[in-house]
Amino acid sequence: MKIKNSILVVLAILMVSSTAMAAQGDKENGKKIYEKRCVWCHSKDGTGNGPAAPFLNPPPRDFTSGMYKFKTTQFDEILPNDENIFRMIADGMPDSSMPGWKDILKEKEMWDLVAFIKTFAGLEGKPKKQIDFSKQVKSSKESIERGKKLFIDRCSECHGEEGRGDGGKKLKDDWEARTWPRNLSKPWSFRVNNDPKEIFARITAGIAGTQMPSFADPASKKKLSDEERWDVANYAASLADASKTIKEGSTVVKAKRVSGSLPEKADDPKWQEAEPTNFYLIPQIIAKERFFTPSNNSIRARAFYNDKEIAILLEWDDRTKSIPGDEKAAEVSLDGQVFEDGAAMQFPVTIPEEMEKPYFGMGDAAKPVNMWYWKSGTKDAPQAVKLLNATGFDKKEERNAAKAGLKAEGVYNKGTWRVVMKRPITTSEKDKDIQFVEGKFIPLAFAVWDGTNSEKGSKHTMTTWYWLFLKPEAGVYVYAMPVIVALLVLGGCILTARNSQKKG
Amino acid sequence: MKISRLLLAVIVIGIFYSFFKIFFGIILKQPIPGSLFTMYMFFIIIGVLLVFSFTEQGAKELMSPIKDLLENPEKMMMRNVVFGIVTIFAGFITYQQVKPSFEAPLELRTIHPAPPSNISAYNKSYNLLTLENPFMKYKKEDPEKFKQLIYEGGEVYFKNCFYCHGDKLDGKGHYAHGFNPLPANFMDVGTIAQLQESYLFWRIATGGPGLPKEAAPWLSSMPVWQNFLSEEEIWKVILFLYDYTGYVPRSWEKH
Ligand code: HEC
Ligand code: HEC
Repeated sequence: MKIKNSILVVLAILMVSSTAMAAQGDKENGKKIYEKRCVWCHSKDGTGNGPAAPFLNPPPRDFTSGMYKFKTTQFDEILPNDENIFRMIADGMPDSSMPGWKDILKEKEMWDLVAFIKTFAGLEGKPKKQIDFSKQVKSSKESIERGKKLFIDRCSECHGEEGRGDGGKKLKDDWEARTWPRNLSKPWSFRVNNDPKEIFARITAGIAGTQMPSFADPASKKKLSDEERWDVANYAASLADASKTIKEGSTVVKAKRVSGSLPEKADDPKWQEAEPTNFYLIPQIIAKERFFTPSNNSIRARAFYNDKEIAILLEWDDRTKSIPGDEKAAEVSLDGQVFEDGAAMQFPVTIPEEMEKPYFGMGDAAKPVNMWYWKSGTKDAPQAVKLLNATGFDKKEERNAAKAGLKAEGVYNKGTWRVVMKRPITTSEKDKDIQFVEGKFIPLAFAVWDGTNSEKGSKHTMTTWYWLFLKPEAGVYVYAMPVIVALLVLGGCILTARNSQKKG
Repeated sequence: MKISRLLLAVIVIGIFYSFFKIFFGIILKQPIPGSLFTMYMFFIIIGVLLVFSFTEQGAKELMSPIKDLLENPEKMMMRNVVFGIVTIFAGFITYQQVKPSFEAPLELRTIHPAPPSNISAYNKSYNLLTLENPFMKYKKEDPEKFKQLIYEGGEVYFKNCFYCHGDKLDGKGHYAHGFNPLPANFMDVGTIAQLQESYLFWRIATGGPGLPKEAAPWLSSMPVWQNFLSEEEIWKVILFLYDYTGYVPRSWEKH
């Protein structure tokens, strides 16, 4: 009991002292830290126009606006809570360039920063209208069911029917920058997180400075009651898709051997039997022309093979189906310009025997690469796949895909592209095409283009080298060997015991 | 209580085993690779057994519990259990050995390879032994100007480098997780704090493709910055790196 009491006392002191720190944040010291660490993005005058700003989407926050996106005060309360600002500084904002600072700044220093950045908009005093979390509806099957209906009605116009951000609306923030509705199936890409309580706060207050509105505003036709907002938050949280989680250290696409034919279509349910591997996509910021503002952030791959062929399924969420010439596609694009969506896989022409591989950026003079490049097609031309050989960023040669037996087919559904690429295990041009071999680690890299996000040519997202592995079927000996060895050892034991007993 | 010699031998081997695991794996965070570890343990077991069975008497004592287990009619039950365990263990080890491994191959590379004495960049040749940062002199001569140069270096950094090397220069930029090998962490005592400015100039100007073979140039995603930045910009960003981290570049005099 005593221990419990003293813990309470300590907690109380901690709470009081941290609010005290908040109240007392030292603006002058905050300014010093800000000028060393934050000006590069948020700029000296707090307008968010630092040297890095032109390369960032989302752009750094303009503190002179006084708007904070991720707050827990009401929609009609301009002031955020100091704790809201503090939290974004301490933890950072995932999938944006805003890092968390708690690993290098002290708690006091971060409160100083809070006090300082509030001065840019002259924010003073305590916010009065807080979000009321007390009527939380626990997540349950029923609540999620109710939430789903509300979601389709209120949220899907932006976030898409299944929450992958594919509502197909052109959205901008108050500073004219393109904003993409969050893909709710990837909780790791949330700026805060997908706890229903957080989502409840987002839809109650809205996301200031963006078109994501408040659903608690009585003036809005879309207003939802407290209970309804909890239901929709529970549903939104349930959209998290664990099969898209990127596992650290998981670098191999394991192709599964099958005896019969390989699935032809991207939506064949048989694909479920192949183990998926997820990879981060990063913008091509390495060679000219570089690209800094991607819209796609991950890709998933799985593969099957048999004696004759290999088939690889690529799946990635893309909020827009980009078909040049299509009116609807042009509407969503920022400048009306639409290029084709695309996806490519890169392999070395010769599977390396040792560690040395071709340069990950389209090979090098000594070690060429194969590229299988699928494009989504235009209004007039159907989708197609190209076969390219390259020996460097700008040294490409187009080859005959049909002759090599390379085929590809993609379908777009509710914010996800699924593309199957297929090729015979071996080809006739052995010096120009990769010849797949079972049981070897084969370097593999990916690239993806979102044509509605002005991605074309060298402007795209990509990965560096990962691996493809054609998993041999476990031979009989894998099971027979251990049994034989075990029996031999047992025999040995018994014999030794016998001998020993005879002697003794 | 007298501990049997066999048990003692087992304990000694156990101590060696946990020492390796804890010291290299947990304290140094550099676990010994599996095959090497197996070899070490093999020699240690042989060594310990040799020591423990050095004298005739010792050898007898060492073997006595085993002999007892094998011969004593009262320990029949115990004997069967031990044989069972040994058998299953042998089968398991064999399975571990023959089952196909789907672990990606380990790729060992030198992180800071020895620099060449001469490099070419910007259509010129540089001698790395004598190359110096032309702006360093302002540190004493014109501190105001020096500060300005550092700021300009910061601008270069925050337009080009921070996506990977991080806003905090800790190698954890927004896109760092997409690269293998990971971008260098400048806050770490093992990177720029150990290097000379001329070394940094070489690594920045010629990028990943400029690495020697032992450093796996085909993997490194470091861009070739002479294609994007001027020489001055590279020297300025080097000033910024040292200023922000608080480290001092190595120089020849200190050697
Ligand atoms: C590399 C660029 C960069 C640096 C450096 C940086 N920020 Fe940010 N910051 C951003 C971006 C980008 C956003 C907007 C993210 C979004 O809207 O999703 C942001 C947003 C914020 C927000 C807004 C949170 C909200 O709820 O609206 C705060 C507060 C903030 N930053 C504080 C800081 C502080 C304090 C520092 C210095 C210690 C700092 N930032 C350094 C890029 C940066
Ligand atoms: C008018 C378009 C629009 C509507 C309608 C809309 N959103 Fe959003 N939503 C957005 C945009 C844009 C963002 C990204 C804002 C940003 O970070 O800049 C977003 C972000 C989010 C986030 C991410 C929060 C985080 O931590 O990153 C969640 C959760 C969310 N919305 C849930 C909902 C729910 C639930 C609804 C329906 C009740 C809804 N939204 C309705 C446009 C919309």
